[in-house]
Amino acid sequence: MAQAAVHSFKTETLQREEAMPWLAPAAVLGGDNAPAWIAALRETGAASFAATGLPTPAWEGWQYTNLRPLTPDVFTFDAAGDVAAQDLPAPLLKDSHRIVLVNGRLRPDLGTPLPDGVKLTPLMEISEPEEELATVGSLAQSPLLALNCAYMRDGFVLDIAPHRDITRPIEILFMTAGNSPAVYPRVLYRFGENSGATLLERHAGAGAALTNLYAGLVLKAAARGRYYRFIDENGDAVHVSRTVVRSHKSSDFQGFSSVSGVAAGRQEFGLELLDSGISSSIGGVYMLKGRQSHDFTILADHFEKDGTSVQHFKGVIDDQARAVFQGKIHVRRPAQKTDGYQSHHALLLSDQAEASAKPELEIYADDVKCSHGATAGMLDTDGLFYLQSRGIPVAEAKALLVHSFLSETLEKITRDDVRALYAARIAAWLNAPVEEAAA
Amino acid sequence: MLKIENLHATVADREVLKGLTLDIKPGEVHAIMGPNGSGKSTLSYVLAGRDGYDITEGSINFMGQDIGEMEPEERAALGLFLAFQYPVEIPGVTTTTFLKTALNAVRKARGEKELDPASFLKLQKQKLTELGMDADMLKRGVNVGFSGGEKKRNEVLQLAMLQPKLAILDETDSGLDIDALKVVADGVNALRAPDRSFLIITHYQRLLDYIKPDVVHVLAKGKIQKTGGPELALELEQKGYADFYDEAA
Ligand SMILES: Nc1ncnc2c1ncn2[C@@H]1O[C@H](COP(=O)(O)OP(=O)(O)O)[C@@H](O)[C@H]1O
Ligand SMILES: [Mg+2]
Repeated sequence: MAQAAVHSFKTETLQREEAMPWLAPAAVLGGDNAPAWIAALRETGAASFAATGLPTPAWEGWQYTNLRPLTPDVFTFDAAGDVAAQDLPAPLLKDSHRIVLVNGRLRPDLGTPLPDGVKLTPLMEISEPEEELATVGSLAQSPLLALNCAYMRDGFVLDIAPHRDITRPIEILFMTAGNSPAVYPRVLYRFGENSGATLLERHAGAGAALTNLYAGLVLKAAARGRYYRFIDENGDAVHVSRTVVRSHKSSDFQGFSSVSGVAAGRQEFGLELLDSGISSSIGGVYMLKGRQSHDFTILADHFEKDGTSVQHFKGVIDDQARAVFQGKIHVRRPAQKTDGYQSHHALLLSDQAEASAKPELEIYADDVKCSHGATAGMLDTDGLFYLQSRGIPVAEAKALLVHSFLSETLEKITRDDVRALYAARIAAWLNAPVEEAAA
Repeated sequence: MLKIENLHATVADREVLKGLTLDIKPGEVHAIMGPNGSGKSTLSYVLAGRDGYDITEGSINFMGQDIGEMEPEERAALGLFLAFQYPVEIPGVTTTTFLKTALNAVRKARGEKELDPASFLKLQKQKLTELGMDADMLKRGVNVGFSGGEKKRNEVLQLAMLQPKLAILDETDSGLDIDALKVVADGVNALRAPDRSFLIITHYQRLLDYIKPDVVHVLAKGKIQKTGGPELALELEQKGYADFYDEAA
């Protein structure tokens, strides 16, 4: 029986991986009248994870990030925990709509009404899932995704109606609360043909928490999707996520993510440019110190001609923190006239900070333009002395240089107010006034 | 104002300054001339407090304080300013942010109130106009994409904004055509005041036609070899530094 299978996988896994936080013994699967596809996916995910365990450094794509030792706390699946409405963080932007999840569960009572043209469907109310929701990649190759399936509890599909331009941003707030919860949300953002919307996906919470998110985005023909992620959790949180962006003909996607607070993290982005004339870009900044680690793993996959993909990442690493960037551009044979751009630049503020980068190009079409650049370096001492010689104290001078280094990644963000949100996070990390941001 | 005594300094374990003595009084303009490699820039960096330029003997007294151990920003707050021979490019920090941060840092360190944005912009505009500079550069990264002349003018702009007690100009004339040189010299001359001194470092006499020095020194082999009035500069222009190479050899 399905339940029995799930059970045995848990015990086995826990025996094999002592102190492994990714699966919690208290987990109870089933018994919640989930639709058949979810029950089946839980089973498949659990079985797959039982067979693989967490990836080891010998795995393709896992050379630099070893999640095993990073999380000493044991997180609890479906932990109790609540947030009162008045304790929610203020909205990121004024005049925005809000969807709230607490510990991975939808909380309509804490959200705001959504505008015309936007429809939210809870995961549990979906009986016939689309491929993008149910079949989201090889579980054998992605144990984290397998866990996301095994522990699928709640989530939603957000539909932007065709030909609608939703002017106000929609904030999706993932809160964690209570005693070290482990949450495995699954969401799908669907932009109808020729629609446009700005999504602000924010992860926040005061204590230790494990988030293992699967987010799918579908942009139908000529859709314009803006997807800005803010990982605002604190130093005891772990964030892993897989985000797959499926773009259809002539659509335009712009994504960005910032991370500074988590103990460990890995964000995977897969940009699938399925048709011709697509533009798809993803960028990010990370700011790490102490013993934090974070990994951005990106794949831009060009299926058809005239596509443009951009990967633009920068980060600053202090103390003994570690950063990983793995970026790949894959250009299939029909994808002529592809423009692929990728860059990653890391600034090391200490001798013990570490940055690993693995840029990759795999190109089967002959008429393409692809470029990538990766650097890791220390602060420019000439610049530092120049600033100090003008009276700027060394700490402030460093902050100014770091801020200017990082904020360059924000230039392509089309909304000023969103750019300011990221600039504020950089400034907060540097403990510097926001005003220091250079245009 | 500035009193340097028997200064010995090393760069990369090499002694470059070997017993330099210099005394600049308030309001005076001193020029230091010397062949390439004689240690002029090294002197300017040692005075400004750059890392890696170590004082091994002697002392630097500025505004009544021994500044040998001070951080560069502390020296700036005391009123020391160095116009760089090679101004540094700082991408991403706009010139106006740089100027404002510097000015307010110095004001704060001196116990003065920070300038409000409106007063700052007014001051900045006034200085910019005086120096015949394009406002467009304020929005660009510090010195990024500036021509040689623009970089030097930017140095003088900073000088005019920060109003130091002692300004050291390291080869501010190099790379300037005659018009740009006049603008820079006018900018400097406008700042001359009874309580403000200048140390003009130059390889050529040309700049000294426009900024008249009170005292001229010849630096060679890490020491002041000769001190005189403005006529010494003219003499060097005619005879070159050969005498000092000979002496040194
Ligand atoms: N960072 C450095 N590392 C090694 N040698 C240096 C460094 N800076 C200056 N020097 C040496 O010190 C001497 C004086 O240089 P500098 O002060 O730049 O001379 P000037 O400005 O008079 O042309 C030169 O021989 C130069 O090679
Ligand atoms: Mg020099």
